[in-house]
Amino acid sequence: MLRRFEVYAIDPDAPVERVRALEAACRRCGRFIPEVLDCAIGTNLSDAPVQLVWEHAYESPEAYRRYMVHPYHAVVVDRYLLPDSPERIAIDGPLGAGLYGYACDVASYRMRTGIRRLILLRLDAGTSEADVAELGETLERAPEVVPDMEVSVFAANTMGSAWFDGVTPVMGPPRWTHLWEQGFASFDALDAHRHSDTAVAEFERTDWGQATGGLVKRSAELFYEVSGDHGPEAAP
Amino acid sequence: MMHLVDTVEVSPEHVRDYLDLVGSLGTAVMTEAGARFVSMATTPGEVGERVEIQVVWAFDDFVHWNEIRKNLVLDPRYHEYGSAAASRRVGGTRRFFAPATSSSS
Repeated sequence: MLRRFEVYAIDPDAPVERVRALEAACRRCGRFIPEVLDCAIGTNLSDAPVQLVWEHAYESPEAYRRYMVHPYHAVVVDRYLLPDSPERIAIDGPLGAGLYGYACDVASYRMRTGIRRLILLRLDAGTSEADVAELGETLERAPEVVPDMEVSVFAANTMGSAWFDGVTPVMGPPRWTHLWEQGFASFDALDAHRHSDTAVAEFERTDWGQATGGLVKRSAELFYEVSGDHGPEAAP
Repeated sequence: MMHLVDTVEVSPEHVRDYLDLVGSLGTAVMTEAGARFVSMATTPGEVGERVEIQVVWAFDDFVHWNEIRKNLVLDPRYHEYGSAAASRRVGGTRRFFAPATSSSS
């Protein structure tokens, strides 16, 4: 499977109805392109300079490639995004290209409601595979000590450079080399985790670079309430 | 054959700037990415209203457009073109058109 996030910084002067239209276009994408799975959006509540997050997934790179050439993608979604579109409301932001994602065997990210949290990480270029694996194991085992953490997936951000077909890099290494995707049942659960005395929470509170012995060079956080598409009869 | 039709609104004093931008940087970026220039037209500028400029590009189908889109996104000039165009317009629409025929044709 391919798990994928697009994050958008929105022009503060954009008319609210066009912002809602972009949100709806993303949230409802799976109705028009069946290959788009687990479609949901959220409004980022962290300090990171992005407002809208669109999370979704694909069964395979082939499914992703059908999405890429689907008219809904070009006509509806891109209308608000491409730099030369007269209807663009997205703006370039300092967080780097707003596309992240990874390949996975099963949909262990799946969570229909709750709070999604993404930690974007840039690992040192010289980090060994063994060190990456050890960090990943530590983070993915977090739910064992953080009972309200329902999802914990650590993965390389392969989609950041392989956004054209899901497999082949078409540009250099992404700014954020890895993702730690988390899911919590509620904001209270996330807050409880942040303030807990677990080793993982302490790990997060400390500077990432210091906590990992210099392995993590930079980090950024996004979190939002997941708003999925619950069918045509649901409110927009 | 499909057409991408951008219709932008500009103030009368920005019409020439916008046309020149499309004719220079815009055409270079779009055609090198694989699109074909079809036409550029304006509404009258002497009637006390904003001018609408319609720019039309052609490509084969959405598979071809996906390739063009990739080439555009990877071209730094495309982002420069997008910023320059945005600064000169006050609104507009983007639509894709496919050929159609009447039942009598």
